Amino acid sequence: MVKVIVNGTEVEVEEGATLLRAIQRAGYEVPTLCLFGHMYREASCRVCLVELSNGKLVPACAYPVSEGLRVLTDTPKVRRVRRTVIELILATHKTKCWECLRKGGHCLLLKLASEYGVEGIPVCAECPLYGEDCLVVRGYPCLGPITVAGCGAQCPLSGSYCIGCRGPITRKDTLREAARFYAKYGVNIKNVLSLATIFWGRLSEFNLVRSELLNSFTNYFRGGGP
Amino acid sequence: MGVSTAVVSRAVITSEVTDYESFAEEVCRKYGLKRQYLIRVLQEIQARYGYLPKEALKKVSEVMKIPLTEVITVATFYHQFRLERPGKYLILVCMGTACHLRGNTQNYKFLRTYLGIRSGESTTSDGLFTVEKARCFGCCSLAPVIMVMSRDGKHKKLYGGVNPVTLRKIINYYRAMERKAS
Amino acid sequence: MRSLLERCCSKCWHSTEYPCRNYVRCRLEGPLCHDDPSCREARRARIEEIKYGRYGFKIRVPLASCSIAAGAQEVYEAVVKEVKSRGIKADVGRVGCTGLCYLDPWVELHRRGYPPAIYANVRPEDVGKILSEYLSGDVSSAYALRYRTGRARGEDKVPTLDELDVWRLQVRYVSRNCGLIDPESIEEYIAYGGYRGLDRALRMSPDEVIEEIKKSGLRGRGGAGFPTWLKWRICRDQPSKEKYVIVNADEGDPGAFMNRLLAESDPHRVLEGLIIAGYAVGAAKGFIFVRAEKPLMAERLRKAVEDARKYGLLGRNILGRGFNFDVEVILSAGAFVCGEETALIAAIEGRATPRQRPPYPAVKGLWGKPTVINNVETLAHVATIMAEGWESFARYGTEKSKGTKMFCVTGAVKRTGAYEVPLGTTLRVLVEKIAGGARDGRRIKAIQIGGPSGGCIPAELMDTPIDYESLQKVGAIMGSGGIVVIDDSSCMVDVAKYFTSFVVAESCGKCFPCRVGTKILYDTLVRITEGEGSDEDLEVLQDLSEVIKYASLCALGGTAPNPVLSTLRYFRNEYEAHIRDKRCPAGVCSRLVTYYIIDSKCVGCGSCARSCPVGAVSRGSNGKYVIDSSKCIRCGQCFIVCPVGAVGKR
Repeated sequence: MVKVIVNGTEVEVEEGATLLRAIQRAGYEVPTLCLFGHMYREASCRVCLVELSNGKLVPACAYPVSEGLRVLTDTPKVRRVRRTVIELILATHKTKCWECLRKGGHCLLLKLASEYGVEGIPVCAECPLYGEDCLVVRGYPCLGPITVAGCGAQCPLSGSYCIGCRGPITRKDTLREAARFYAKYGVNIKNVLSLATIFWGRLSEFNLVRSELLNSFTNYFRGGGP
Repeated sequence: MGVSTAVVSRAVITSEVTDYESFAEEVCRKYGLKRQYLIRVLQEIQARYGYLPKEALKKVSEVMKIPLTEVITVATFYHQFRLERPGKYLILVCMGTACHLRGNTQNYKFLRTYLGIRSGESTTSDGLFTVEKARCFGCCSLAPVIMVMSRDGKHKKLYGGVNPVTLRKIINYYRAMERKAS
Repeated sequence: MRSLLERCCSKCWHSTEYPCRNYVRCRLEGPLCHDDPSCREARRARIEEIKYGRYGFKIRVPLASCSIAAGAQEVYEAVVKEVKSRGIKADVGRVGCTGLCYLDPWVELHRRGYPPAIYANVRPEDVGKILSEYLSGDVSSAYALRYRTGRARGEDKVPTLDELDVWRLQVRYVSRNCGLIDPESIEEYIAYGGYRGLDRALRMSPDEVIEEIKKSGLRGRGGAGFPTWLKWRICRDQPSKEKYVIVNADEGDPGAFMNRLLAESDPHRVLEGLIIAGYAVGAAKGFIFVRAEKPLMAERLRKAVEDARKYGLLGRNILGRGFNFDVEVILSAGAFVCGEETALIAAIEGRATPRQRPPYPAVKGLWGKPTVINNVETLAHVATIMAEGWESFARYGTEKSKGTKMFCVTGAVKRTGAYEVPLGTTLRVLVEKIAGGARDGRRIKAIQIGGPSGGCIPAELMDTPIDYESLQKVGAIMGSGGIVVIDDSSCMVDVAKYFTSFVVAESCGKCFPCRVGTKILYDTLVRITEGEGSDEDLEVLQDLSEVIKYASLCALGGTAPNPVLSTLRYFRNEYEAHIRDKRCPAGVCSRLVTYYIIDSKCVGCGSCARSCPVGAVSRGSNGKYVIDSSKCIRCGQCFIVCPVGAVGKR
């Protein structure tokens, strides 16, 4: 057995165990994204990075324990780096929460993003209405796909469509995909935009949001890409 | 012209394809079917054709029992491998530090413009030249450097201290060689 | 005798099946097992022949990649032809590169009794004249002499190598044979003292070998500077019976060619080091992993392996010591990341992408077995240290950075080449004294050291000694030893952009920080160089760079932001000029530069118009030429071809 000190707490784990196991045994939590049991342990996502006493950051899911190893799981450096890593992950993530199986509370990215204050995920990620229950699919101009998540999708849960009070998503690719979503289910983008004007009309980003949505919406019908 | 040429050209194409497949199989078997020789197999196939034809990759996957996605992972990961047929002559423009500082980035742009290579492509429309960025050849004292290589690998020449004036001469030299050959 | 490596007479019984323990010593000192003056004489005569040629006249022509690219092959053929047609009694030999690349192609003539004379930048048509002059006893047109003998005319006017800064300030520890011996001849290597290191190592125990390397203080010359003895020790202590040693001959840093030079000019030294490493660690198989872009390097190494095998220096029961070791040369397929240990191992396994470390390769490497990976230069040092003793190495260098190292100095200097100096030598000595300082009357602005993983040091810090600790303090790393000198005609933001684009292309894609983060750095730098940057961008660059350094999976990502961080640290003013004034002070970033023709200087020759790839230059009514800014793609061709310098940039 090997002794490891996690956030000042001593624990013992088997030799050859990963740092993550030691951290969990000590009662702490470290998020992981790419870890998948025995099938994938390549430490690619860099979300589980924790800090050693020499200041180095190592991935908990793959780092082997050694006698007397000291690790800290929640230092300012860890939080700063993790936040940026989440931003980088989101930057290349195809955000289509409205049709994702993890919507309605099963999305780890959303949990991480909310915890670290990273924006860019739409309300749809929190909304459990899926498939034919989805308000957009039913033809309503719900602003969920283009509104910043964080409210727990209260309005759609109570039966009324989202009116965007938390502010617009400004990421172009998400907006483009959202426009195609609206188009696919016959929701007129003009209705979406006039609804959006209520809360977003005075925002400087609104012009950008409006032009992105309009362009992609019309392109859908021309048979073009987003 | 009609039927006869169509039959002939299809026969040529199919025979090319089977040529890719049979050569690929031959190379795989030569190395024994061990995973560690994958890169060497691909190198031999590319040495023969100047690139990695799709059919050859499929055959390699089949014979060496490596999933096709993994073969393609390796084929796309390493710069040396090309998945598209290059022109008769490959012009490799060194992108090393010394060469960049001495203007090879401009030389690269110049070659593309001068040869009329369209954006998103790397080969001239007459199939004679392919212009590619290359990693450092290690001849930094002669910066900026290009290498001209024939598709079959038989001709390989390094030219140092190039600029648009000398590049024009070099291109014309190879064009002249082509004219003489045909 | 035909070859030093063959038997001197029937009493000699060495063969690969029954190797003689004293085989190496016997080549030079022999015969050892029997006393025969005629055998001894035959050996001595053969060594004379090798050093001075059969007729006492030896001509050396370098045939390594850089010299061949400069035209040495044609010069070689011209020399052979000239010697034959004039019936000159001389031996024409192929040698490797001395590292004085600015002399390429050079020729060395050495006639017994006369000074060995080196002629620089020789063209095939000059060969006849040079030969005639030298044969008549005149060396006045030589670039330098190895030493004077008092018999040649013009001797006093020509400097000896030791009188030239470029040679005098070097300590050619591992590069001693480069440019002197035929790299494809194992016989020459042995005649000049080769394989004595292996001979001595095999008379010691592996632990003693490791101890010798420890005493020498040798640190990995590939970049990280990890103590070589410790890596060997860790691997040796692993319980596995199957172990591997690998030579990392990937040398991917653009601007670094020391490894190529060593392997093309003295491949046996590297091989010898590898065999010694295998012995020390307990491995039975070695690999030499060579970069795809350097095929001549692979060829020379392959020939060395073949020859070593032929004479029993590789294979079973090497030198009768019961040590089995064989080597395979493997060509990479082109990926910078393969210079990284775990990616190199993946390439040999037929895969791609690096792996998380720990576990380190010394513990779990190739096919899961303990593996030692050493750089080409490190192993060359190993062979030399074992031959000459650890003090011969440890007397040079500093307390923590012992010995010598080869550096390639390229860029804006007068004398580009590869130079070996003791660690602790300052950058100033290397760049100004040895490499001759700035070229074309320009001013040195920065020194880039360590390739894409390194940093840019401003010229003001040129008195920094070159050792691992001092360089780290100023925000750079030694890296593999590639030094690029940057003058004021280059833009530091462009340099950062260039290195970042390199990393973006070479990123394996496995982890987010490197794959996505470096791309964002690159896009930001592009916007800045196109005049669309903002002050926030500088914060983004700094912050994101730091995160990428901490969070990347392997050293490629971990060191990728160094060019950005070091240029932000020392050249912030250039970034600010691009952002605030929309101006590129060096006149490099094409969107921020306008080309125009200086009317008063223009002579109306039209070279500019002819060179313009987009037809943006036209003849005005007054016969002078004019550039249409709207069409101009800022390629700079007109600037380059104008014979009177009438094209201006602003």
